[in-house]
Amino acid sequence: MHNRALPYLLTLPSLILAAVVIFWPVLDLIQIATHDVSRFGQLRDFSGAENFRALLADPDFIRALIRTGVWTAAVVGGALLVSIPVAIILNTDFYGRSVARVIVMLPWAVSLTMTAIVWRWALNGESGMLNSALRGLGLIDQNIQWLASAATAFPMQIMIGILVTVPFTTTIFLGGLSSIPDDLYEAAALEGASPMQQFRRITFPLLKPFINIAIVLNTIYVFNSFPIIWVMTQGGPANSTDILVTYLYKLAFRIGKLGEASAVSLVMLAILLVFTAIYVRLAMRGERA
Amino acid sequence: MMSPKFKRTIVAWGLLLPLVVVTLFPFAVMFLTAVKPAQEVLTPNWWPSEFRWSNFSGMWAAAGFGRALVNSLHVSLIATIGALIVSIPAAYAMSRFRFAGHGAFRQFLLISQMISPIVLVLGLFRLLAAFGLIENLNAVGGVYMAFNIAFTVWMLQSYFDTIPRDLEEASWMEGGSRWLTLRKVFLPLCVPAIAVTAIFTFINAWNEFVVALTMLRSQESYTLPIQVFSLVAGRYTVEWHYVMAATLIATVPVAILFVWLQRYLVRGLSLGAVK
Repeated sequence: MHNRALPYLLTLPSLILAAVVIFWPVLDLIQIATHDVSRFGQLRDFSGAENFRALLADPDFIRALIRTGVWTAAVVGGALLVSIPVAIILNTDFYGRSVARVIVMLPWAVSLTMTAIVWRWALNGESGMLNSALRGLGLIDQNIQWLASAATAFPMQIMIGILVTVPFTTTIFLGGLSSIPDDLYEAAALEGASPMQQFRRITFPLLKPFINIAIVLNTIYVFNSFPIIWVMTQGGPANSTDILVTYLYKLAFRIGKLGEASAVSLVMLAILLVFTAIYVRLAMRGERA
Repeated sequence: MMSPKFKRTIVAWGLLLPLVVVTLFPFAVMFLTAVKPAQEVLTPNWWPSEFRWSNFSGMWAAAGFGRALVNSLHVSLIATIGALIVSIPAAYAMSRFRFAGHGAFRQFLLISQMISPIVLVLGLFRLLAAFGLIENLNAVGGVYMAFNIAFTVWMLQSYFDTIPRDLEEASWMEGGSRWLTLRKVFLPLCVPAIAVTAIFTFINAWNEFVVALTMLRSQESYTLPIQVFSLVAGRYTVEWHYVMAATLIATVPVAILFVWLQRYLVRGLSLGAVK
């Protein structure tokens, strides 16, 4: 009797805490999103989907939504393209491998805020060290104002996004590679398979579940990623580097359109739930195998 | 002739070179700017004419670093200790009992892990505001604690599962109560896992940005990331040598800790993932 209640008692505190801090805000957001609300948060009349309609009519929101898609796809895809070869290299035996591993993992160890602050300075138009490095190498002869327009700022933010996503992704792939038995490669080599064939026929298929997991988890993280863009450009100039999270923040805490901000939150939550469902399915499939 | 391993070394480093350069570039920028004399910061030279180590002490006073450091420690310790206090029992229950709701609790953890504070930030702000807790460091620590529970339970459970039950069963056979067994047999074995989980929770809280940015509105309550950000954002002149010195000091200890413990994180997460 005592024992039967015990597991519930043990899990209860964590459940209550998480429920209060995570689910109370969700309910509150639903409340605000479906009401007419003052900029100080007073709920007025129930307005149904009015806030959502206002969002859809807002070109800045549509642009931020599309940009979020570009940002997520580019960072996740880029990190994947970099991480697979990097993991394969780090999985081979060479001098200085442990040093190489530490260097590759470094961006993971630094907070995104600090990384973004350093890059904001490195990309400074007048005295940034990227400009001086590129000038020193003779690659450019005029300073580039990296953060002054979205055409240069956004690709740079994507590059930084990729850089900070590579360590985690590489780690997943290293775990995957270590699970592939060496004799497969030895047998393939005996049969005369080229390294490229070995990659396509052995490494890639066996790595595929890990690639799927990396894609889904990275999609969730990158979709939610706030500090890089906020610290470097705050979504500017003129909202031209806004993604959903930065746009949401502006709506809520700068412009004070709480109803629309809540609607953005709920749209994001819905998208996240879809990703999570995909992840759960993938993880379950891995479990059965 | 060159040995195969030597050849592999050259190829490997050659291929990794672009990534290594891009990875180390911001660290070089951070370090070199932090030690430049103030009047050289805005000139486009890479190398400083002398290493001005006094920038660090200058920064400490000018940037209000000490108070932000204390605030960061404050919220991170609350988050870590709090998350452990509620997570250890939960992880123990998940690892050692089969009960109705076991699967549901796991799903719940997974979903709450996927939701990041930024998505809920307006709701969180209103939650804290409703209780008059804006500016309150304890409340910010509490929010971190809640958002870390999924991670800590997940990590701890995956370690707890690796500890054989035989040890506990042996202790019960000898007449030890569950509580005694827990204290004398189980928990001592878990100390390393708990320590590692604690450190990662601490680092998470230490690095957190958006909740702190939203809830902590005056200088007195800023944590390190917000303090450093406030030296940059919306200022006409930025003292970059101080900013980089602050970034360096705030980053390096945590980065070393992280790199040192990173393999435990990977092991814990992947153990959890295959369960």
